[in-house]
Amino acid sequence: MAAAIILLTLSGLSALLWQAPVLEVAELWQSRYLRGVVHFSIWQALLSVILSLLVALPVARALAQLRVFPGRSLLLRLMELSLVMPTIVAVSGLISVYGRQGWLTVWVQDWLPALGWNLYGINGIVLAHVFFNGPLAARILLQALEAVPQPQQRLASQLGLSSWWRWRALEWPAIRAVLPGLGALIFTLCFTSFAIVMTLGGGPSATTLEVAIYQALRFEFDFGRAALLAMVQLLICGSLWWGVLRKGLNTDLAPQRTFAQHQLFVTASRTSRLLYGLLLAGFVVFMLLPLLAVVTRGLPGLWSTEVFAPGSALLDATLRSLAIALPAGGVAVLVALLLLAAGHRSHRWFTRTSEAAGYLPLMVPPLVLGTGLFLLLRPQLGASNEGLLLVTVINGMMALPFVMQVLRGPLHSLDTPSRNLADQLGILGWYRWRWLHWPRMRRPLALGMAYGIGLSLGDFGVIALFGTPGKPTLPMLLYQQLGSYQIHAAAATGLWLVLLLLTVFAVFNLLGWSGSQRPRLFPLTPIPEPRHA
Amino acid sequence: MFTRFSALCGLIATILLPLATSAEPSQTLTVYTHPSFAAEWGPGPAVKTAFEARCECRLEYVVLGSGGDILQRLRLEGDRTPADLVLGLDTGTMEAARATGLLAPHHTDLAPLALPIEWHDPVFVPYDWGHFAFVYDTEQLPEPPHSLEALLNAPEDVKIIIQDPRTSTPGLGLLLWMRHVYGEQAPAKWAQLQKRIVTTTKSWSDGYFSLFMNGEAPMILSYSTSPAYHMAIDKTDRYQAARFDEGHYLQVEVAAVVAPSDNQALARTFLDFMLTADFQREIPLKNVMHPAIDLGDELPEVFARLIEPESTRYFQPQTVAQHRKDWVDEWLDAMTR
Repeated sequence: MAAAIILLTLSGLSALLWQAPVLEVAELWQSRYLRGVVHFSIWQALLSVILSLLVALPVARALAQLRVFPGRSLLLRLMELSLVMPTIVAVSGLISVYGRQGWLTVWVQDWLPALGWNLYGINGIVLAHVFFNGPLAARILLQALEAVPQPQQRLASQLGLSSWWRWRALEWPAIRAVLPGLGALIFTLCFTSFAIVMTLGGGPSATTLEVAIYQALRFEFDFGRAALLAMVQLLICGSLWWGVLRKGLNTDLAPQRTFAQHQLFVTASRTSRLLYGLLLAGFVVFMLLPLLAVVTRGLPGLWSTEVFAPGSALLDATLRSLAIALPAGGVAVLVALLLLAAGHRSHRWFTRTSEAAGYLPLMVPPLVLGTGLFLLLRPQLGASNEGLLLVTVINGMMALPFVMQVLRGPLHSLDTPSRNLADQLGILGWYRWRWLHWPRMRRPLALGMAYGIGLSLGDFGVIALFGTPGKPTLPMLLYQQLGSYQIHAAAATGLWLVLLLLTVFAVFNLLGWSGSQRPRLFPLTPIPEPRHA
Repeated sequence: MFTRFSALCGLIATILLPLATSAEPSQTLTVYTHPSFAAEWGPGPAVKTAFEARCECRLEYVVLGSGGDILQRLRLEGDRTPADLVLGLDTGTMEAARATGLLAPHHTDLAPLALPIEWHDPVFVPYDWGHFAFVYDTEQLPEPPHSLEALLNAPEDVKIIIQDPRTSTPGLGLLLWMRHVYGEQAPAKWAQLQKRIVTTTKSWSDGYFSLFMNGEAPMILSYSTSPAYHMAIDKTDRYQAARFDEGHYLQVEVAAVVAPSDNQALARTFLDFMLTADFQREIPLKNVMHPAIDLGDELPEVFARLIEPESTRYFQPQTVAQHRKDWVDEWLDAMTR
């Protein structure tokens, strides 16, 4: 499977290179422009990683402390949503809040005129990246924090450890294991960011490598240069991941959960609970304000009944999107399971390669991969349905890194006693999967499915190449409306897409929960999952 | 259950399929175009009905993302392309399209054309045109600048949103506009214009939807025809185009016959049809551009209220193809210094 992904990527790249007449490799380091682009890409990505983590850490801590409050589950769903939000919708929301005429800007200018707040520039880029990645990071860190074994938590609570010591002794070790992978993930996402950087960057001095790739591919038809730049991107992000995977292979992003979770240990004092509450409230406002702007802008357009009349463009596009996204989610989960299972059982080198392969789709621009595969496969692609099948597969691949992130911990979390017992009892194959893995995998699988489906629902890059825009998916419909002055319809479509994404996460969350009352084979296994998963 | 259902579907299909195919006309004209033409609110559907009524053929759109995508797809497919006709290229992509060698001469009589420039191209037939212009919000900016020069020297609060010439057609349009007006001075003028620019977006839609309609800047680079849509469809006079004394840069959208096609004769019939009122009357409000021929009374009333540039700025496509890279590089230099 890993080989297949690597092959897919390499063949996409080499198809482009093969079409290119001459390769000007020297241009890479001679051009002042390209050097500037690479420099800026790295710089903004680093800044975004640091700030995302700075926001995420206290939020995750607060959520770990305050385990019961109304709306917590909804908040977690929203945090999952931020990753898969279509950029243009989110950016329009951010601008309504922080832009020159934004709600918050107007207020800031009244109270703090000296600040001279201007969204456009590195400010805006980093703000948007924190908006997209902060919630994701907090979500993953929370998972790590909640996995701190209960006896340790109990002990810490009995010893009356202060907040600082709790952090030193319990939380930091749990988080430290997750940080490199998380950092690399956010770095890659920000490094390859495109529309956000251009819209909020203010001008061409804010150009990432991905912009240069797009420019080469779509405006200059210079396949060789596009492939070359894609390889530079692959090299930078790939070496980062290689380092992370080499060092922290065993540090799963969702570590072992072998201890039963009993009563929750609320150790925080009243003042710190208040502080955490305030912090969370601030975070919720940060996340919700732009969403609120999306709602207020889109609602009038969704209100009219004709939008949902049978055969309406919106309804058709929704069905088409789901027809692509649901299988794509399945592909993502299946491939992730295979990769992880392969990685778990065999040689270290093999493990690393197969996991690294899972992250490849994150580093190769979908447009490059898509164009390359188009060159290779187009003559064989007869009907448009086959094109859509390819879209499904590529979408599934693009979701892999996230799905693997979610599944890795739980899949490897089976503790040695359980495993030995299962071996002794000869529980193998289907039964092993059904009774040992399934109970702990069901909810991560549901979340993985939701990520896979969500990412595919929001995809615009690949579908634009292989789909036929005459039969648009939701994001395509959105862009088509945008391109024809249909501002209100576009706002409505954007809101509808967000609502659909939220529904997907909510439904799969429910699926993950339901039917958990089945009998269990092992007394060890009935571990209630932490509330968030 | 599932098998029974699919068997039923199969049965129905075998009954219905021959019926459907027997009604098919013999020829199908495959047209590569972009969404603003083929979308349900664009001119595409009405054009399809009108053309099919007279040709006894089927007209099928293959809708690609943009003019650049049409060219890209054509290049990728080469001789094996199923396209008979491409519709939606423009003066910026024409030369690259010509260079593929995949397009054939049109033989269409260009006499009915009513463009602001002379047009004698043997391969490309124009179907609409428009001038690039800055559209402004009258509520934010009652007194817009009346020339490029005035825009460069405008007060601090006159801000504009533009598009990136590396990724967008209007963006490239402004680059050429500045070049045509200022010549070698253009880079220096860009450096001056930079103070006016809020941001440079990837595409026209990004800027129009996320920024301009959110009130982020009172002016945005767009088309002189944009207000027609707002006035006719949105029923508001709030958004108007500013008329600049230096004249405005022209964009012409074109179609062409694909050389490897087996349906060249039919494709040429379509090009002839394209310059008739039956096709052109769909253009003004559905494509929000000027029609390529004189529509007389059929031109919607709002078009009379659009600005009329004093002069048209235009580089021959060959000139653009030749210098685009250098000019974009100069622009980058001026903007990042």
